[in-house]
Amino acid sequence: MRIVKLDNARGLALCADENGARSSVEVELVLPVEVGDTVLVHAGTALARVPAKANA
Amino acid sequence: MRFVDEFRDAALGRAVAGEILASVEPGRHYKVMEVCGGHTHSIYKYGVDDLLPANVELVHGPGCPVCVIPMGRVDDGIAIAHEPGVIFTCFGDMMRVPGSKGTLLDAKAEGADVRMVYSPLDALRIAKQNPERDVVFFAIGFETTAPSTALTMKRARTEGVPNFFCMCNHVTIVPPLRALLESPDLRLDGFIGPGHVSTVVGARPFEFIPADYGKPVVVSGFEPLDLLQSIHMILTQLAGGRCEVEVQYSRVVPYEGNLRALEVMAEVFELRPHFEWRGLGFISQSALKLTDAYADLDAELRYSVPGVRVADPKACQCGEVLKGVIKPWECKVFGTACTPEHAIGTCMVSPEGACAAYYNYGRFAREREVV
Repeated sequence: MRIVKLDNARGLALCADENGARSSVEVELVLPVEVGDTVLVHAGTALARVPAKANA
Repeated sequence: MRFVDEFRDAALGRAVAGEILASVEPGRHYKVMEVCGGHTHSIYKYGVDDLLPANVELVHGPGCPVCVIPMGRVDDGIAIAHEPGVIFTCFGDMMRVPGSKGTLLDAKAEGADVRMVYSPLDALRIAKQNPERDVVFFAIGFETTAPSTALTMKRARTEGVPNFFCMCNHVTIVPPLRALLESPDLRLDGFIGPGHVSTVVGARPFEFIPADYGKPVVVSGFEPLDLLQSIHMILTQLAGGRCEVEVQYSRVVPYEGNLRALEVMAEVFELRPHFEWRGLGFISQSALKLTDAYADLDAELRYSVPGVRVADPKACQCGEVLKGVIKPWECKVFGTACTPEHAIGTCMVSPEGACAAYYNYGRFAREREVV
């Protein structure tokens, strides 16, 4: 999912999936992140930052 | 779409399939287990197995989090859901898993306030919106989902939400793999390691598989090309007489995992002495419970639950399917008494379950002809 908006104080982000659907996501485990980053989200928590270019 | 289109390229897929064919030894039968239910789903959704040589057999492992929940735990959840004033929250597929007297969906029909959530964070939001009621989150899943629950428990504490509780059913991936490897009725040549679990735990926890059992492990992504490449990497290891842990899904899996996630889990959870797995029986130190510091948020301590062990229905062979001993279509009730709409066994409930994957993508018709 792509980060649309960040609330750094609460460790939360508003993320959009490929269809544009938005949801709140915990980003504490992948900090630091920026708006526009792509993160791998599972059950409302970002587990990994996805690099800009795939290497595998 | 980036990270999707390039991993579904048909021409590349056929090319990797050609390399797989070139790397197998004629006359040798290869059994490779995909541990993760997400892999099972992808394999049958995209027809990955149709691209494999006949002597490369994929065996489905116990990595579907819904499928391994025993009936007794569902009964315990339903008992809490029926407590006065409780809002019981869980993931959608968990609502359809049968206990001994029905499902959580049945409990909802009987009047219990059972609500589907997409994340523990959603459950916490419901708790904030209903401060006069207890909100219980039925937490399931491997190390992929456990950090999410752990973060939410911490958030409930820091944001002062006193009416949020967790019934913890989180499990860990390594103990059932060891149990499978010790099982005498299963001969495997290698493992497709779980991708998303490994974003959290890394690849190091799987090193015991080559070290103690001499079998290769390749941690794989979930797109068809990811899976084909991982199978090729396993076969290449076997052909070269190697066995080690490799990471195909390196775009999101660091070898050491997500250290922050592991820290948060260690803060909130501790290992249970033993836990019952559907079809696999009791496995020691294979599941998580809340630590003493979070005991006041533990729904199992707040409410008295039956805690009764319930045997699986006699007709159900989920246990053998989860161990990879039989194929889903070899189960006596597959596709007849047991369907995704009216599941007897857990493997038919979740889309990640091996039976549902076979059923949904039409495998059963062809496989029955083979029988």
